[in-house]
Amino acid sequence: MAGIWVFAENREQTLELLNAGKALAMDFATKLTAFARDMESARDYSGHGADEVLLLPPQADDQPLESFVPVIADAAKEDDPDVFLMCATQRGKEMGARIAARLNTGLCTECTGFKADQEKKSLAMERILLGGLAIQTVVPKVRPQMATIAPGTFDPAVHLGDKEGVIRGLPVPPASAVKVVDRTPKQRESVDITEAKVVVCVGRGVEKKEDVELARELARVLGGEVGCSRPVAEELHWLPEEVYLGISGKKIKPDLYVGVGVSGQIQHVAGIRDSKVIFAINQDENAPIFDAADYGIVGDLYQVVPKLIREIKSVLKA
Amino acid sequence: MLKVIACFKWIMDEADIKVDAGSRRLILDRVGYKISPYDRNAIEEAVLLKERHGANVVAMTVAPPSAKPCLKDALSRGPDNACFVNDPSLVDLDPSQTTNILASAIKGQGEFDLIICGEGSGDLYTQQVGPALAEKLGIPCATYVNKLTYVEAEGRIIAERKLKDCVEVVTMPLPALITVLPDINVPRIPSLKQVLAAGKKPVDSVTLSALGGACETCMQTTGIVAATMERRRQKFGAEQGDIRAAVGALMKEGVIG
Repeated sequence: MAGIWVFAENREQTLELLNAGKALAMDFATKLTAFARDMESARDYSGHGADEVLLLPPQADDQPLESFVPVIADAAKEDDPDVFLMCATQRGKEMGARIAARLNTGLCTECTGFKADQEKKSLAMERILLGGLAIQTVVPKVRPQMATIAPGTFDPAVHLGDKEGVIRGLPVPPASAVKVVDRTPKQRESVDITEAKVVVCVGRGVEKKEDVELARELARVLGGEVGCSRPVAEELHWLPEEVYLGISGKKIKPDLYVGVGVSGQIQHVAGIRDSKVIFAINQDENAPIFDAADYGIVGDLYQVVPKLIREIKSVLKA
Repeated sequence: MLKVIACFKWIMDEADIKVDAGSRRLILDRVGYKISPYDRNAIEEAVLLKERHGANVVAMTVAPPSAKPCLKDALSRGPDNACFVNDPSLVDLDPSQTTNILASAIKGQGEFDLIICGEGSGDLYTQQVGPALAEKLGIPCATYVNKLTYVEAEGRIIAERKLKDCVEVVTMPLPALITVLPDINVPRIPSLKQVLAAGKKPVDSVTLSALGGACETCMQTTGIVAATMERRRQKFGAEQGDIRAAVGALMKEGVIG
């Protein structure tokens, strides 16, 4: 048996993986299979290029999504797909690791891109290593070749018109020993930092919570949004966790990133490396952020930022 | 009494890694090693359980014999003893290899109640070993936990998982496995006394042959190169004229205005 499988938690992520999978299905001359939670989504995925959709049965409220692991692993044992791509959300990464363990195969976590070898039907996959310092290339030795891929890595698949794909129901999984007691949705941030053209980032060089306002003012003048480094959100709680940038946080690709008092640890730089221009303000001229920046001002941010705001205002007025 | 296993990894300190700009090769000659940061949270959480409920805490790692200094480091943080699975071949393992070796070693330890792992390792950060290990041992797991409660009377745990879109509270019977986020606790800094006492704590040194050998890799690494960033790296001072020049540079790039 063969095939390219894709699994994600929601529609947007599924369409992205369908797009990634479609190219592979063509390379390997095989079919493309997606997972869906209901019939409507199943038809939707067929219309977006899935030749086959595996339909997951409804779940009891106290069952986590992860309880589908045994059913998905059994289906993979049966069908033996060439490739299984899963969305690298937290649940997706846990499920991927557990499915790979059940299948005694490998898994490339947060694969950033791959090259397909048509003849061998194999992939050479790339991922980030050592907190962003290096890129690792891995070649799976065991089938299925599994990878998790972060949301937003691929564009979504386009609608190809209504197509009748094969829809196959999967059995109900055994009840999981893990029971969900409570689920509190996080309040959605009104702004999506990954969409901003300009991001001003607050680092540990900012001394007090009130001083975040300085970064906000700079962001306002530049028409951007405010983000931060991981400790500013997780340890100091000055800004919501949705806006911390880095390898384990948000990865952004704005036109302009401005680091205010950001030292530039590699884990942080991994989240901003795709910015078009990186600009940094830090008083330590040896701060690693300057190696990752196009332009930097070495100086006390409390002196520099107000001057910078005035200067930008005056050039924008001119 | 609870038996808790805290798994940890001894990793290169990435701050010591240099890059050869021409070849993009990583220069690892002078690197120091450390306990992977999130594994310190795993050890701390195990020790907190011990302090609150009474527990025997084992710190477990899979490494080459040269990683021996990791034992004192881990034990100074509060575990009662260590399990050191070591063999010269245990370097650059893929996550499936590490998982299988840990699973065999844990099976060899007899009964346990809870296994605690970090969210991911500081070097590979595949975030696989925790959940994969639970699967190999056939026990329930919760990943990305930022709050743990042990319900002693019922022999179960309640774990709060911090996910990107929600906070999910789950409960499960022991034995179980959790992976912890860095904000679950603040790892203690060992005192000199604790460091000295760590040297006297028992270490169970397990050889690979005792576990029946290692399995083949599932994922062959065919290359590791430094991530390059083509950046201008132009620095300005903080005087008015410098700031004007910096803003001018940004205007020229077309990223403001």
